[in-house]
Amino acid sequence: MNIRTVRYLVKEGIINTYKNKIMSLASIGIVFASLFVFGLFWILLINLSYNTEVVRSQPEMQVFCEYELDDAQIDQVRQQILNNPNIESCKLVTPKEAFDKYKKDLGEDADILEGFDESLMSASFIIKLHDTEISAQTMEDLMKINGVRKVSYSKDIVDFIAKLSRWVNVVSFVLIIVLMSISTFIIANTIKLTVFARRKEINIMKYIGATDWFIRLPFIIEGAFIGLVGVVVSLIILHSVYGASEVKFNQELLAMRMYFIRLVPANTAIFRMLPSFLLLGAGVGTLGSVLSLRKHLKV
Amino acid sequence: MVEFRNVTKKYANGTVALKNANVVIDKGDFAFVVGPSGSGKSTFIKLILKEETPTEGQVFVNGYEVSSMTRREVPYLRRSIGVVFQDFRLLPDRNVYDNVAFAMIITGAQPKEIRRQVPMCLALVGLSRKASCMPNELSGGEQQRVALARALVNNPSLLVADEPTGNLDPENSWEIMRLLNEINQRGTTVIVATHEKSIVDAMKKRVIAIERGIIVRDQQKGLYGNEYKNSSIFS
Repeated sequence: MNIRTVRYLVKEGIINTYKNKIMSLASIGIVFASLFVFGLFWILLINLSYNTEVVRSQPEMQVFCEYELDDAQIDQVRQQILNNPNIESCKLVTPKEAFDKYKKDLGEDADILEGFDESLMSASFIIKLHDTEISAQTMEDLMKINGVRKVSYSKDIVDFIAKLSRWVNVVSFVLIIVLMSISTFIIANTIKLTVFARRKEINIMKYIGATDWFIRLPFIIEGAFIGLVGVVVSLIILHSVYGASEVKFNQELLAMRMYFIRLVPANTAIFRMLPSFLLLGAGVGTLGSVLSLRKHLKV
Repeated sequence: MVEFRNVTKKYANGTVALKNANVVIDKGDFAFVVGPSGSGKSTFIKLILKEETPTEGQVFVNGYEVSSMTRREVPYLRRSIGVVFQDFRLLPDRNVYDNVAFAMIITGAQPKEIRRQVPMCLALVGLSRKASCMPNELSGGEQQRVALARALVNNPSLLVADEPTGNLDPENSWEIMRLLNEINQRGTTVIVATHEKSIVDAMKKRVIAIERGIIVRDQQKGLYGNEYKNSSIFS
């Protein structure tokens, strides 16, 4: 089969999708719905893994002071921290240093900090422990110090997110199998109807010497095209829905001074999903066509 | 060109459609295949097109040993044969030009070649002015002429027509036969399965008569045969 013939067959496949527009639209709708639901789970996973990294990159234990403390009060806190026998070292991070680091971490998203300054942050201490086994007790002791607002211990958070990620992973996997099976079934039915509607034409093609692939390819292209359109629609909608909520959510988090957690920018998330979505869409479409052709097209 | 060597075709339900058939149709021949319904005429045509495979014996068409050929080779055999059916079998959503061009597209022909060949074939069947018409805008005779143009467009060395005048009035039937004769004069081998006694008798071509699966007569410049004239299915 030469390039010219393949080009002709691709065109035929796309024209067929248009001719069969009601069923094609229904199939595109199913692929879109499946990938949209799957995409939401995937975005959750991307965010979990992103925030795991963010938390992991934080110091093991960090003690955050109240916002209004002056330098003398901060030093007092430091002294009291060092009085704890389990503390190996204690390093001060000023609000300005914390703000600059956060800005740097945000990268292309740093514009969400517009209008904010270092008063967003409080002074904090990065702590190294002698014995991590008794970290819970140490945290409790440190919380009792006057002027301490919060003590974070990243290992616990990392463990929690890892556990959560495992579950989301399992649910996503089951979901993708179920949703893609439904999509494949619907596309197979669409193609089956096309094959049935065009059975006379297929018969004529056979008599005048069309090869099996010449007859099959437009149907396969039709299936793949349906899958790909479903992918594009789902990515566009995911991008707009997630993009809007991501900006709002990140601003809310910032306003709540929860700057350890943030959502991945929409472009990054969608770009990460793109190759797999394209493969899934085209794969589901092609598989649907091949399944229905094998059963209903004896060429 | 076409050779049946001890060919027997038995269907799954036990019907013997062709029994020990031996026939040779040479290049440039014009042969009518005649016989009552169920005699084995259609099986004869189907074996040539590899729509059926013989139970015993061998069928040779255009140098292919059809009986043992693989599924993959079948399209290439069919491209070397022009086929015309009683019900025209045109693609309803394509115009006359595209219907004829389609037979070339499937062979991967160059667009330039298609643009040269299609108008030539349409001119041969007298439909140059109807190139942009859709099949449903044509009369039965015109539709059959489109089918004939499609059958010829790849320059086949063999043209097989199964009841090509079965759906046509006498005037159009004669027009189709005149065209088939002209195509044969240009060197193409023509095999026509038909019920049309008047046409067979008037054209005085080779007649292969089949009855109950047996070739009962193979006669040059033959007639349809008196033995069928009382049968109600003949005109």
